[in-house]
Parts: sequence; structure tokens; C-alpha cells
Amino acid sequence: MAEVEETLKRIQSHKGVIGTMVVNAEGIPIRTTLDNSTTVQYAGLLHQLTMKAKSTVRDIDPQNDLTFLRIRSKKHEIMVAPDKEYLLIVIQNPCE
Amino acid sequence: MSWRSLTNSKTAPIASRPQSSALEAQGRRSRWSATAREGGAVAMATRARPWQLCSAGSAGAVALATSGAASAEGPGRPGQLQDETLGVASVPSQWRGVQGIRGKTKGCQTASIATAEACAQTQKHADAEVQTEAPVPAGVLPASQHDSPRLAAFLRRVEAIVIRELNKNWQSHAFDGFEVNWTEQQQTVTCLHTLGYPPAQGQGLHVTGVSWNTTGSVVACAYGRLDDGDWSTLRSFVCAWNLDRRSLNPRQPSVVVEVPSAVMSLAFHPTQPSHIAGGLYSGEVLVWDLSRPEDPLLWRTGLTDDTHTDPVYQVVWLPERRHSHRFQVLSVATDGKVLLWQGVGAGQLQLTRGFALVMQQLPRNTKLRKPHRGETEVGATAVAFSSFDPSLFVLGTEGGFPLKCSLAAEEAALTRMPASVPLRAPAQFTFSPHGGPVYSVSCSPFHRNLFLSAGTDGHVHLYSMLQAQPLTSLQLSHKYLFAVRWSPVRPLVFAAASGEGDVQLFDLQKSSQKPTVLIKQTQDESPVYCLEFNCQQTQLLAAGDAKGTVKVWQLSTEFTEQGPRETEDLDQLAAEVAI
Repeated sequence: MAEVEETLKRIQSHKGVIGTMVVNAEGIPIRTTLDNSTTVQYAGLLHQLTMKAKSTVRDIDPQNDLTFLRIRSKKHEIMVAPDKEYLLIVIQNPCE
Repeated sequence: MSWRSLTNSKTAPIASRPQSSALEAQGRRSRWSATAREGGAVAMATRARPWQLCSAGSAGAVALATSGAASAEGPGRPGQLQDETLGVASVPSQWRGVQGIRGKTKGCQTASIATAEACAQTQKHADAEVQTEAPVPAGVLPASQHDSPRLAAFLRRVEAIVIRELNKNWQSHAFDGFEVNWTEQQQTVTCLHTLGYPPAQGQGLHVTGVSWNTTGSVVACAYGRLDDGDWSTLRSFVCAWNLDRRSLNPRQPSVVVEVPSAVMSLAFHPTQPSHIAGGLYSGEVLVWDLSRPEDPLLWRTGLTDDTHTDPVYQVVWLPERRHSHRFQVLSVATDGKVLLWQGVGAGQLQLTRGFALVMQQLPRNTKLRKPHRGETEVGATAVAFSSFDPSLFVLGTEGGFPLKCSLAAEEAALTRMPASVPLRAPAQFTFSPHGGPVYSVSCSPFHRNLFLSAGTDGHVHLYSMLQAQPLTSLQLSHKYLFAVRWSPVRPLVFAAASGEGDVQLFDLQKSSQKPTVLIKQTQDESPVYCLEFNCQQTQLLAAGDAKGTVKVWQLSTEFTEQGPRETEDLDQLAAEVAI
């Protein structure tokens, strides 16, 4: 229990990180540092996108699999670490 | 075909080709080709005695040919003109020998087209309706105990890779200066539409308010006069154009509502695309439904004790405290009252909350002119609500000083004005004044503390809620400034409408002294009275002027796309608060 919170706190306190959230396999957020509506929006959309990316990688090469997903936008970068049961989503503002 | 017709058509070429026909006649046995080339009488060869026929025919043909050749020589030697009798060319008749003319008639006929008749008729039908509902806010799952070990294991697995990527990202220069253009770049500001209502323009009415509806496709304008000092009985109009319709006629609005008194301000409902509220010169507040052309009036305040006694200069829709999908109308007038109305039952707007501004109750943090004896109302001319705190609003006053007010104020107002609900004093902070009445205020949608105010002194002041002195003061015009609005997409851009007939667009990132773009709306310097940005189609800006025209301007791309660092720059600007 404490380990989970500590790990999330470590990630959240990294340079430039705006928000962190953990989403389960159905796209429902479990832990988050952002407000409710934003979290739900990110969770739903990124869950779908991760599934699509995973199936794309598998279709190209069935021996391959998705390990990490990064989306760079004008304002920040969204990083998704996918897994069988969970998704870890981190939003970072990489402005120096 | 009959042999007779063949004879007639084939007599001509015989003389020209005697040799070939003879050869062919001997060589060929086929029925049809032999007959085609031989003499005219030999129409069709038969089975009986074909070669006998051929030889006879060829002899006849040769005989004919030689006589023909001889006669052909005649005209070439004029000295030997002499009469000659030619031998009779006889071609033996073959008609007895022809046995069994074989003719075949062939005909063809398209087969009759098979047709069938069938009908279809739906026997049963079902009615279905679709209605969008306000989305139910979903929630985050609370932390559950039994998931913890798996969650911990997952985080252990991914933490290292995530931290590594975060570090790499922080130091990466891969995307420096890399920009993607998704939309077509528009370099200049162009006027998309020039809309006007000729009967109103004929009466010399000005456009006093414009508003875009919630879908961004309809623009409505209110006609009235801003320079009337006395009680006016002018009839005026509220016109709406639907810009997405192909049959848009700039001189014929899609909806026209006739109003008994001049309309001073307009505001469309935030979620209902056809409801619009208007504040009148007579102090009334009306709400229309533009989708009902025969009777658009939905609610009105009527002329009760509660109604304003002075022109209503601005109306705003506010969400109700408990039911955030229902809205109330807030009206602001120069009689010093700020009233909140709720539509009830039979078309009546009822007062739910009211505030009154009294000179004595204004906070004394700024030195203002000494108040006269007795209570004096402070006329309010503009209102703007903060996008971050829904109960906080800024009022612009006739005295030139903006006031920070709160809907939750409890102190009773010292006023003798009659009202059905107790009037409260809302002011919490007074900002330092302009040189003249403030005609427009606008709160920044990107920063909770910044707001702009524009007044008759031609200056625009950028205030922070935390201090009384403005952060910057820009002189935009030598005449009055009638409206100022922040851009809904670019944190550092605002637009101002001036009395010199132009709309000035300021980009604080580029230059804080002079406008980035100056749009000349009217040719004869008649003032521009109102302007509004379109929040859905962010490149559109509507401005109404004293000639009664509403011009819809399409802004260049630099005004519609946010750059990467703008919010930080705005924060920096706001942080220049003098301590």
C-alpha cells in the first residue's frame, strides 16, 4: 500500500511532471493526481489509443509487442507504460 | 436476297475486270463467291452442273469483254471513225437450269422482355427518438485493498522505464524548433460577412450588442441607440443570422424580433442554441426563443418594483448554484442594481437575488471622489465573471473604477430601493479608476487574477485582482473605447473596439505598446460599439458599429493557434504585481 503511494509520489515529483494516473484493464482510473473530469477523459482516450497501438504492433509482426507509448504535443508529452492489467500514464511538460 | 437484285447491282464492274473474273470462275467452286464475280445473268450457281455454268458464263463474259474492249478503242483514233456493228453478245439464260433457288429467310426478333410487377409496403414501423443528455460525470475508482499487491508489482515493473523516459525527455533537444502546421495558414485578417438589417439601418439605429450562440453558427445583434440621453420610445430589433446556412442573405436575417424599446445588450444561452436574453433601455430584461418565429418571447421581467429603473447595459447567463445545467440571468444597470432573475411559470422572470451598489458601502482601499450627501447609487455599466471562481465577478462603473464583487456577499445594502428580496452590497475591493466611465470589462479565461477594463478615456487597463493599481495601461484611442474582450484561445491576445471606427487586436507577446492588427470597420470613423469572439470557431470575430452593420472578421492563424509558452508568459505578466 505504502509502496504504491511512494512510487507514484516519486514519479509525480520528477522534473516537469504535470500529472500521473494508473488505469486498469477496462479503462477505469484507479489512482490519479489530477481532477476527476480530466482523469476520466485521459483514461478513456488513452486506453483506446494504447489498445490500437498494441494491435498495430502485433499486426505488423506477431512476435513483437508494445512496450511504451509516447505522444508529443505542442504543450506537453504524454507517456503510457502498458501492461496486461494496468496502464501508467504520465503527463510531462518538457519545456526547458 | 433475290438473284434479280444481284444482277442489277453487279453489271457495272464486269467490263473493268475481265481477266480476273475468268480466272476466278475456274478456280473456285464455292457457290457464292463465283456468282458474285461473274456475269450479270449468272446470279446464283446451283448444285447441278456448276462448272458447266461457269464455263458458259465465262465465255459469255469474255465475249462481252472483248466487244467492250474494241469499242473502248474507238474514241482514241479519230481518223478511223466508222460505223461498226457489233456482234450480239448473248448471254444464255440460266433460268431453267436454276433449280431450287435456295433462299433462306432469316429474321430476328428480340425476345419479349419479361416484366413482372411487384410492390413493397412497410407493414410495421417503429418510432425512435434520440436525445442527447447532459453527460453523467464518471468517477475515479476508490483505492481498493485487494488490488494492492498486483498494483505494487506492476509499478515496480514499469517505474524504471518511466523514470528513464522522463529523464531523457527533460534533456532532449529532439523537438527544438519543430512545429507542425495542421491547418491551412491564413496570413491576413479578412472580412467574411457584412450583415445588416435595412429597416433598422434606415431608422439610423446602431448595433448595441452582438452575441454568438453556443454552437458558434448563429450571430445575433441588437439594435438601439447609444447616444440617447432621454427616455426613448424607439422601436428596435433583434436580428439573428445563421452563418452556416448556404442561403445566407446578409441583408435578410434568418430571425427578426421586434422589440418595443431599444435593446442595449444581448447574451445567448450557454447550452440552448436558440435562447437569448436581452436588456432593454426601459430597464426590462427579456428572454426570447429564436426557434419559434411566431411568438419568440419566453420570459420577461415586466415593469414591477423589482425591475431596473435605468437602461440595462449588460446581461449574463449564470449557472444555478445547485443545478448547474439550469441557468439564470444576471442584469446590470446604471441604477446601481445587479439583479439575478429566474424564469418561472407563465413567462415571468422572477427576482431571486439582488445586489445594490451604494457609494458609502464601497471599500475604501482606493481614494475616490468624496460622495455626496445621502446615499448615492453607483451606476454599473459592465460585468464580467471569472472563469475560475464562479461567484467572483468584476463590475465596471460609471465612476470609472472597477469593483471586485462576490455573489456570496451577505452584507445588506443601505438603499431605499424597493425590492422583493433583500439587496446586498457585493463590493469587496475597489480598483483605481479610469479617467471616465468604464464601458467594458473582461476576465481572462487563462489566468484567475487578470482582467481588462476599457473606458471613455481611451485607455485599456490590465488589472490583477490582487492590487488596486493596474499592471499596465495602454492608450488605444483618442476617443471612447466601447468594448474589450480577451481571446478565448490565445492567452495574451485581446481585442478592443474604439470610437474611431476600428477594432484593435493586441498581442502582448509581440508588442505591448501598439496593436498588432488594426481592422478598419467603418469608413467614416463612426464608432464600433461591440465585439465578441466566437468560442467554437475561434478564428471568427463579430463587431457591430454605429452604421448598423455587423461585420464578421476571420482572423489570421497567428491569432487562433496557441504557441507553446503563452500560459507561462501570462503568468509572468501577472506576477509583476508590485508588492
